[in-house]
Amino acid sequence: MSTITKPAQAIETSSSHGSFLERLKAMQSVWILGVLIVIFGAFAVLSPTQFLTTGNITNIMQNVSIWAVIAVGMTFVIITSGIDLSVGSVLVVSSVVSAKTMEALGGEGWGVALVGLLVAVVVGLLWGILNGFLVAKAHVPPLIVTLGTLSVALGIAQIITGGLDIRSAPTVLQDSIGYGRIAGIPAISLIALVVVILGGIGLHKTKFGRYTYAIGSNETSARRVGIGVDRKLVQIYALSGFLAGLAGLLSLAQFGTTTIAGQSLTNLNVIAAVVIGGTSIFGGLGSMFGSMVGLFIPATLQSGFVIIGVSPYWQTVAVGAILIAAVYVDQQRRAAASRGKGV
Amino acid sequence: MRNTIKVAALSATAVLALAACSSGKTDDTSTAGSSGASGNKNIAFVQGVAGDEFYITMECGIKAKAAELGYTVTTQGPQKFDPTLQKPIVDSVTASKPAAMLIAPTDVTAMQAPLEQAAKAGIKVVLVDTTVNDPSFAVSQISSDNVGGGAAAFEAIKAAKPGGGKVLVISTDPGVSTVDARVKGFSDAAAKDSTFKDLGVQYSHNDPATAANLVSSALQKDPDIVGIFATNLFSAEGSATGVRQAGAKDVTIVGFDAGPNQIKALQDGTVQALVAQQPSTIGSDGIEQADAALTGKTVNPKIQTGFTIITKDNLSGEGGQAAYKSTC
Repeated sequence: MSTITKPAQAIETSSSHGSFLERLKAMQSVWILGVLIVIFGAFAVLSPTQFLTTGNITNIMQNVSIWAVIAVGMTFVIITSGIDLSVGSVLVVSSVVSAKTMEALGGEGWGVALVGLLVAVVVGLLWGILNGFLVAKAHVPPLIVTLGTLSVALGIAQIITGGLDIRSAPTVLQDSIGYGRIAGIPAISLIALVVVILGGIGLHKTKFGRYTYAIGSNETSARRVGIGVDRKLVQIYALSGFLAGLAGLLSLAQFGTTTIAGQSLTNLNVIAAVVIGGTSIFGGLGSMFGSMVGLFIPATLQSGFVIIGVSPYWQTVAVGAILIAAVYVDQQRRAAASRGKGV
Repeated sequence: MRNTIKVAALSATAVLALAACSSGKTDDTSTAGSSGASGNKNIAFVQGVAGDEFYITMECGIKAKAAELGYTVTTQGPQKFDPTLQKPIVDSVTASKPAAMLIAPTDVTAMQAPLEQAAKAGIKVVLVDTTVNDPSFAVSQISSDNVGGGAAAFEAIKAAKPGGGKVLVISTDPGVSTVDARVKGFSDAAAKDSTFKDLGVQYSHNDPATAANLVSSALQKDPDIVGIFATNLFSAEGSATGVRQAGAKDVTIVGFDAGPNQIKALQDGTVQALVAQQPSTIGSDGIEQADAALTGKTVNPKIQTGFTIITKDNLSGEGGQAAYKSTC
């Protein structure tokens, strides 16, 4: 193999292409993890008997689980320098269609629940394919496409139900998934963990993941190299929709109702978490581990602030500040890379 | 590496500084493992939504009564009247192990499980304003007689428009126990009276802008609407705007809740009557029941508070007293 001159902005991969690049990437994840540890430590010191209990930590884990599932898909989308604002609405419409189906079937058992799961992910998948198609083939910017499908999906959910929440999830869903525990860990968190691990493997270890990074890094080059960019984009947005559908079912299991009026801030919260975790909105850089750490920061902040009695408004101030800081660090990193530090 | 250390130190300082500025939560070294242990004088109040004068007035009543009885109160509330935002707050409050929690649940189904967990952790839960499907875990439920309030709103419209006509209800979201009861009270009273035609309920999702759009569209469709009943503060604000936007004259609007904007609308004449609840009383009753539960006295499991009808005439007297506050 001849000596390879490293490109100014290298495609991010998980295998070591050179010690400096590896150190750069590791530093971003380490930096974010460091921030999380500092925040966690600060609250643990301020309120040891209340913050540092297993009950509180499992509650934090349980509350980020649904966002974690969505964040897996969002990481893929943002790495391609796209964005998916419609996740909250797709979650709602999937949970609505799923709840209606389960209500029509009647019964409280696992058979009905599995049908509901299938319906929810299929609905999510279809919305994702629509998003991907409009982004890839119709060349509408992802921001606009998903802004549009956000309204359309929510509107359809409200039409189907007349604006009234459906409150009839099978009891088996609520009891075993929504609030059940396996070996002390909430079942919903275990499901989210499985999704995150599969997503991480998909992103860092498969061709699909490599192509995702390639498309985000430089779409034109990716096309010229022979990657079917249009097809990949449809698949990536479809994945995001699929996971939003799964999140819809998990939300139904946890809340027992479709929460049509809720989930309006979900899209921004998940995007903020993914970006804080080190995924660049300009594409080409990011990691699943970083996204997960990024998710825990707002949730830990809120939990800590409530426990120590700080006004809830400070939490949004803090998350916004950390978000800006994260993108600033990302810009520094990109500037360093393009200055040719790797060459 | 320098940058990393700088930012990490900055974040730590920021968090510690915010904690130092925090009000309310005091040193908890005296709390034993169980939150019900004597000496725990902390009570948490979880509002339905932050920034709503109804809950702010309730907070004032709570803080006044708590100071009398020797409790410390922390207040938290979600940014929107949304169970997906309220649940993480309730979970964190449960983890902070107060002696008691006063809460206005934002959904009858979604908040059932998180509140049952709080009760299981030994926290005395008092439901203020709204309730859940199965409130048996709570020590007390305190709310206004909302059905009576809805019926009183209909009587106010009837008094202003004795000739009858079309009436419309603007509510927030179905599934919120309090507004559902008000709608029921109003609709039942309207059904009994043949001179009035009930056009039904529209849902504004607790957003004044949505309420304004709904009302102006409804007035385009039925310009001869004589009365509108808005079931809560935000709906009443939006309905008044909607009537003004549509340029409609002589529509009697009866609002529920009496925030500063609605009092102003009453003074300007855009709203004709307000059915004011007594959130301050609900709050102080809540603290009394929590105290009774904690000190082993008899608890009153269900309290219904009354309401005051405010019109332009009695604004200087008892009506003015019943108005909601935006600060304590």
